[in-house]
Amino acid sequence: MATFGSFCLLIALVLAAYNLFAGAVALRLIATAEPGTGKRLLGKQRYWFILAGLLGLFTAWIGTHVLERIRARISPERLADTARRAGIAGFVAITGAAFALIWSVFTNDFSITYILEHSNRALPIPYKFAALWSGQEGSLLLWAWLLGTYGFVLRLTHKTDVKLYAYAGTILSGIQVFFLAVLVFAAPPFALLPGYVAGGAIPADGNGLNPLLQYPEMVIHPPMLYLGYVGFSVPFAFALGALMMRYPGEKWIKITRVWTMVTWLFLTCGIFLGMHWAYAVLGWGGYWGWDPVENASFMPWLTGTAFLHSVMMQERKGMMKSWNVWLIFSTFLLTMLGTLLTRAGLVSSVHAFAQSSIGTWFVVFMGIVLTVCIFTYILQRGHLKTEHHMESLVSRESSFLFNNLVLLTACFVILWGTLFPIISEYVQGTKVTVGAPFYNRVAVPIGLFLVFLTGVGPLLPWRATSFKAIKRNFVLPVIALWATVIVCLAVGVRPWKDGSLDSGSFYAVVAFAVAAAVLTAIIAEFLRGAGVISRQTNRNLFAATWLLTRRNTRRYGGYIVHIGVVVVVIGLAGSAFNRSIESEMGLHSTMQIGPYTLEQVGATQDSNPNYDSDYAMLNVYKESRRAKTLEFEGFQSYVIPIFRIVPLQMTPEKRVYLASQQPQTMVAIHSLPEWDLYVVYEGMNPDTDQPIIKAILNPLVGWIWFGLVVIVFGTFVALVPSLSPATASLRVPAAKAAPMTPALKGGD
Amino acid sequence: MGAPARFTFWTRAAEAAVLAVAICFSLGAATPASRMNTLSHQLMCQCGCAQLLGECDHVGCPDRDKELSELTTDMAAGLTDQQIMDAFVAKYGATVLAAPTTKGFDLVAWVAPFAVFAAALLGTILLIRRWGGLGGKPLEGATATAESSDPADRERLERIRRDTGANDGF
Amino acid sequence: MTETDGLIAGVLLLFALFLYTFWPENSFASQKQKTRLDYLLERKEQLYENLRDLNFEYRAGKYPEEDFVSQRGLLEHETAELLAEIDHLQQV
Repeated sequence: MATFGSFCLLIALVLAAYNLFAGAVALRLIATAEPGTGKRLLGKQRYWFILAGLLGLFTAWIGTHVLERIRARISPERLADTARRAGIAGFVAITGAAFALIWSVFTNDFSITYILEHSNRALPIPYKFAALWSGQEGSLLLWAWLLGTYGFVLRLTHKTDVKLYAYAGTILSGIQVFFLAVLVFAAPPFALLPGYVAGGAIPADGNGLNPLLQYPEMVIHPPMLYLGYVGFSVPFAFALGALMMRYPGEKWIKITRVWTMVTWLFLTCGIFLGMHWAYAVLGWGGYWGWDPVENASFMPWLTGTAFLHSVMMQERKGMMKSWNVWLIFSTFLLTMLGTLLTRAGLVSSVHAFAQSSIGTWFVVFMGIVLTVCIFTYILQRGHLKTEHHMESLVSRESSFLFNNLVLLTACFVILWGTLFPIISEYVQGTKVTVGAPFYNRVAVPIGLFLVFLTGVGPLLPWRATSFKAIKRNFVLPVIALWATVIVCLAVGVRPWKDGSLDSGSFYAVVAFAVAAAVLTAIIAEFLRGAGVISRQTNRNLFAATWLLTRRNTRRYGGYIVHIGVVVVVIGLAGSAFNRSIESEMGLHSTMQIGPYTLEQVGATQDSNPNYDSDYAMLNVYKESRRAKTLEFEGFQSYVIPIFRIVPLQMTPEKRVYLASQQPQTMVAIHSLPEWDLYVVYEGMNPDTDQPIIKAILNPLVGWIWFGLVVIVFGTFVALVPSLSPATASLRVPAAKAAPMTPALKGGD
Repeated sequence: MGAPARFTFWTRAAEAAVLAVAICFSLGAATPASRMNTLSHQLMCQCGCAQLLGECDHVGCPDRDKELSELTTDMAAGLTDQQIMDAFVAKYGATVLAAPTTKGFDLVAWVAPFAVFAAALLGTILLIRRWGGLGGKPLEGATATAESSDPADRERLERIRRDTGANDGF
Repeated sequence: MTETDGLIAGVLLLFALFLYTFWPENSFASQKQKTRLDYLLERKEQLYENLRDLNFEYRAGKYPEEDFVSQRGLLEHETAELLAEIDHLQQV
């Protein structure tokens, strides 16, 4: 299977290279053949050849003469179509390689170094799939395969806009060539053990999967995150392609929108799953440690979010074209930087699962991408000329500008913090740590300002209004803001402690207050819109809200996402009130945290072929009564989940995985809307043979995960096509019933 | 409304902002009870786990307990926060501090984000001003079509109103 | 699977993919050149959206009367010019 896999990778590389080459030649021919544009572009021909040379293509060598000969023999459209098919064929080849790797994992083929190092016989089946991303070679293969998948879908749907898709497909193949080249030359996943000959002896068992990765979410989190990372290649390819071909109009944004939103959703889910994994597995009671790799995934999220917003300015008013192009270029480069940071070990991190020296490859590739971007931009910047006009400071436009300002500043802060240790070492010769305290001080105020904007933005209409006109829309949110502050103070949250300010609770109060204001503002916005529809169609408010959302799924879906973000922020703010206690617990000894009493009722050991585990059983009492919890029993008729109420017993665990001999904590979490009771088995005191238990009460953590659900829901709403005026008149009888009271459709 | 009203609003907003920032950065020293907690969250565990000392969670960590006991000793000896930090830096190197100091080149780490934010904010405001967002002149031709006497123009205007909901939406 | 089997499977795959890529077929989709009219119709759709939105926001009480009238005038003017060009192109 190793041979087959390597062969597949080689085929895929050749096909991707052909796709890039034939696509570039064909598109060049088409571009020069266009009446009117040919002459103008001809003068720039040599620049294109320099660019192609930078890409390492043969194009520079071929030159115009050969191009003419190709044109005589084959129509450029035909050539472009073979390029497209090469892309589809390439996807099949990479799938073959991925399949070969999975096959080798499942058949325990330890003659392959990668399998030996990342799997073992006793590894449960779902985690065998995880072997695909637990190491560098595998995760690069996953990257390439996902890119192939995106490209496959893109190339199949090319009839939407053949030429634009041809450009995008060719650019994607350029990215694909890079990844496949790395896989073939620098990090071959199918490399055999050194000194292994066919039929020779192979090791009896593998070294096993990193225990940190042996957790259900680890089967979902990396692919999600990679889907997000890789996905940004698509809008990037579209944007770059549209710029290269001087795409007339802004329709490419509409075409790209679904891709961008889906990608954004994957990245968001990936980040949140990563947080949940950190929370449930790393066992320190938190979910975000400002680790360089977490930061690396957060940066493209920030620029991607900025892009999603500011691209609306371009779509509606043709503004900010250059800015958007650069936003998506940077987003793509940041995803590359993220992969580089994760995979090349440039900075120290808990994600050091997969490291090596492929950093140089990435740096060179990023250099090439940046060069191509700058080059294309300089050549085609005339195409991006816009007449900017802004009617008022109080407008949706300016709120988007501020949104971009804040998101990009946040991105800069994180990039700065991540790279500062390197800068410091270079400038003053000493490495410094830039950890959570730095980000908490710098990023939290920026984040709060951003949350504030998520509420203000929706209140402002496009173009111009005066502050006076919308002043009353701010009344309710401001009341909500101060009411929350008063409630917080009333229930005993004290931002001032012992005469000095407690920054944690201060920010938390601010966050709660702003969150309440933003929620009020967004809900009021829904109701205002629904009110208009309700007046026009005589529907009740609920039906009107439903119709309102369907008429402009993108806008109101977006507002739902904003609500989700606010819910997440409420959850994050809860961390200011964390409480924890740690102690050694003998049999029947107890520990007190918040309203809970934990009683140790047994500590024991267990083992299975994959790991040994130590665990403690703790009965949980709340106000001297046994706490209850819901236990999942199974599915009725395979669909309806059944739960039953049982007394709460928590069993935190510590495992030692046999293959890797690495320890791993399994946290016990009792999750309620108001807080999580989070219990960690820290280990055994060797002197007394008693378990050491740490209990943490984390307020509002559940809100973070619930907020994610809202965000996902909102994004799905935004992905559904809106009712258009044409379909609505056919499908909404109310329009006929009340022809004199027209309903209106809101734009974005 | 009028200029004075707007002026007061912005002045108040600015005052509030300045006050908020001032409060954020005038965080005083903690009480002895929470001092240990605060300090241990300003130091890094040195075992390579890349966690804060106060959050390092593995039993048997070779460095955590040692560092924590040093911290306790230093506190008992009556050292100031600064002296304790200096002692740690002298012993473990600058990477033991969880965040850069505010001296020398390290100060750049703190200043840069706010400088960039301020510059970007200024840039955005200038941009909005350049694009006419701060009370620029309105575009001309606003009512040209509405007042046009050309029947074709009037027909188009009616078509637009009909299609976009001024008279009939969907 | 032995090394030879792997090689054979790989060669077969290569052959199949090669055939697929270069299979002579003339029904490939080719790009219809986007005309000025297409572009104008796209623009019109966007301007219509903007106008509908403006009307909607006005009814939701976000614009004072005078702002609304001037904004609508501007947009309608722009759209009317566009429609004039579309009418002209469609007649030709």
